[in-house]
Amino acid sequence: MNHGFLLELAHVVGPDSLFTDASDVLTYESDALVHLRATPAAVVLPQSTSQVQQVVRLCRREGVPFVARGHGTGLSGGALPVENGVVIGLSRMNRVLDIDIPNLRAVVEPGVTNLEITKHVAPFGCYYAPDPSSQVVCSIGGNIAENSGGAHCLKYGFTVHHVLGVEAVLPDGELVHLGGAVLDAPGPDLLGVLVGSEGTLAIVTKATVRLLRRPDKVLTLLAGFHSIDAAGEAVSAIIANGIVPAAVEMMDRLTIDAAEAAVHPNFPKTDAVLIVELDGPESEVDELFAVVESLCRESGASTMEVARDQAQRERIWKGRKAAFAAMGRVSPNYYVQDGVVPRTKLPEVLRRIRALEERSGLRIGNVFHAGDGNLHPLICYDEAIPGQAAHAEQVAGEILTYCIEAGGAITGEHGVGMDKRAYMPQMFSADDLDTMQLVRCAFDPSGSCNPGKVFPTPRLCGEVPGPYRAHPVEQAGLAERF
Amino acid sequence: MPQRLFEPTDAAGVAAVLQSAAADRLAVTVRGGGTKSPTQGPAEVVLSTTRLTAAVDHVAGDLVATAPAGATLDAVNTVLQRERQWLPLDPPRSSRATIGGIIATNDSGPRRHRHGTPRDLIIGIEIALVNGRTAKAGGRVVKNVAGYDLSKLLCGSLGSLAVITSATFKLSPLAPHSQTLVATVTSIRQLGDLALAVAAVPVAPTAIELQSSPHRLLIRFETTEQSARRQTELVSAICVKHGATCAVVSGRAEADAWRAHEARIFGADGTILKVAVLPTDVADVLDRISTMAAERSVEHDVIGRAALGIILLRISGDLSAQSAIVTELRLDATARRGTAVLLSAPAALQHDVGRWGPATDAAPLMRAVKQQFDPQNTLNPGVGVWES
Repeated sequence: MNHGFLLELAHVVGPDSLFTDASDVLTYESDALVHLRATPAAVVLPQSTSQVQQVVRLCRREGVPFVARGHGTGLSGGALPVENGVVIGLSRMNRVLDIDIPNLRAVVEPGVTNLEITKHVAPFGCYYAPDPSSQVVCSIGGNIAENSGGAHCLKYGFTVHHVLGVEAVLPDGELVHLGGAVLDAPGPDLLGVLVGSEGTLAIVTKATVRLLRRPDKVLTLLAGFHSIDAAGEAVSAIIANGIVPAAVEMMDRLTIDAAEAAVHPNFPKTDAVLIVELDGPESEVDELFAVVESLCRESGASTMEVARDQAQRERIWKGRKAAFAAMGRVSPNYYVQDGVVPRTKLPEVLRRIRALEERSGLRIGNVFHAGDGNLHPLICYDEAIPGQAAHAEQVAGEILTYCIEAGGAITGEHGVGMDKRAYMPQMFSADDLDTMQLVRCAFDPSGSCNPGKVFPTPRLCGEVPGPYRAHPVEQAGLAERF
Repeated sequence: MPQRLFEPTDAAGVAAVLQSAAADRLAVTVRGGGTKSPTQGPAEVVLSTTRLTAAVDHVAGDLVATAPAGATLDAVNTVLQRERQWLPLDPPRSSRATIGGIIATNDSGPRRHRHGTPRDLIIGIEIALVNGRTAKAGGRVVKNVAGYDLSKLLCGSLGSLAVITSATFKLSPLAPHSQTLVATVTSIRQLGDLALAVAAVPVAPTAIELQSSPHRLLIRFETTEQSARRQTELVSAICVKHGATCAVVSGRAEADAWRAHEARIFGADGTILKVAVLPTDVADVLDRISTMAAERSVEHDVIGRAALGIILLRISGDLSAQSAIVTELRLDATARRGTAVLLSAPAALQHDVGRWGPATDAAPLMRAVKQQFDPQNTLNPGVGVWES
């Protein structure tokens, strides 16, 4: 790396915020998908929007690719550095800038953690709704990049529904404001496409988020079932009765055992547990919760526990949210998959996963957002056994094929990143991917902002669309040319 | 050049028309149900989406449905209600407004308070492009972060980037009961304050709508009958405390009240201006509207999403007075970091004050997106906010 360029970076962010030594940049070589690693030439930790702009402009001048990074909790390699590129870490831009309770808005910098927002507004009876399992540590900037969800997105939606506006640095260093505290900024919804673009379009330096008032009442049910199918029937019955719970989560035997060993949530010793949470006005929650209880009973629930207070509810959720990490108690290593199927296809896909488990000889735990069909199979393996890690990855890949065949998606919340680029053509045609990349070309024609992510093949911007091709319909004489 | 009308029946047909027009460098006006006022006359080629009417694909168990762009919202909801579900959007003129047009304008109505706008409900899209190709994004599952979400990009694009041919939405169950609390106050200013007070009560209305005059809030509850009653009681108490007179309507009377509410703005002639500000600024803006209209003796009507900061104003009469009002409200909204956009206006007025108001720093980026999707400016030229 050009020494003069590094000096200029140091001049912008200060020598304390530039890292180039191998030992210093080690932390930044991967995100939470640790098997993918790359060594950046430099890591900078800017403290202001203006510093981000200057760093981006320097990178652009030198033709150096850059990757924005929040707190590195991503699970798809979205923040994986480009070899010899620059990592722009936003962890030092972590101020809550404004809280406006009457209008239910907060303005935060990208390095603020998800849960911090809620902590700031809790004294006013408010909260920030998206609740990814990593909410204690993950950053809002990362949530915006990945369009993070969480257990409660069935009713409340994803990050895209709760971010009202952003200030962002474009790949040419220009500053842009999309959306804002006031609704209905005119024009196409560029904010909606920026959220979830996995850091490939711009670097968000400020976000205006929507706050919600705490619901009047929350009731949480923990029900044990003798089979996943029976628990699935209960979910179908709830939806068919016109009830949209705040959350519906399901865990199978293996993940129940793991959670029990790790955090002792006192889950029933059954083959499946269902967590159903209703929230809203007290009168509505009380009435509908009774319906949910009776539907679970009719579907064969063998145990039912209702959390009547916050402590009991927290214990149940701790069991659920600890499920990933808890797998370490039952297996030396595990691979977390993230796929989505239409909810009604859950039983069919789970049967295929069960058959795959038997065929592969690898244990597969299942924990999922049952309300929206988002599966998180956990494939257990032992990296000490030669070839087993690769086998686990292959099994995880096969599960994605099941999701696609069922009409679902290859990722519900972890993102495509580096990890799933290769699967994109199974879900989208070449024309679909090419059309998506038109957006990329508008934001980042030089392709320097987090290159290599999301798309299997980058599109060359400014590429001439090719010679005129007679459209098949035109050829068939179904439409005329003017 | 004489206009030519094309009414393709599928996405490939739309793409073929677009590709041919682009090759011949002809501009294309895209038209759905024609419920929104055009901002300029039609181009050489008019592409109507009204024959894109494939069957609605409704999977009730998944709470999703795919609808063709040319179907009207009412037609789609007629299908969905067989399973006691609906696409929870209530933009004006829903018997004629098409799915494609509603997405392209990101249009909504009073129940936006609970359910949001099309961009909050859309989960997948299929579009036809001027390069003759068709493309899709998103899918048929609610949770999905694979690839760029083009369905959001098309929301509010006014047919300037691509033609929407079908879309998939997440749905809501139909509530077993609906009732509306009508709270009447004595000054227009109170509407803003009362709406904020109501929004702070732990209830879950589907609409908190203002209308004037008379100065009223319409607060709708759609849930179980018992809960709707209970929530109405809680809110009535707050309204009475604020000096309002309360009445509750349900059934046919409720439907009539909401129809009349929409007709105040969309059922009469005149200029329609949408002002967007912070909810806490609503009282001031209402006050200003009322004062200006009185000073200039301009007939006016106001409705709006009181707790969201969206105000719809209809004015008619002397054009120079209208122009002054729009200009002044726009200055005021801009100072409050908001906007004041003409939804419908006589050509002369639109020419005089412009549709959008001041450009923002997002305009160059929007222009770049337009350039990528439609390099020859074939689709609905001139409608984009970046051209102001």
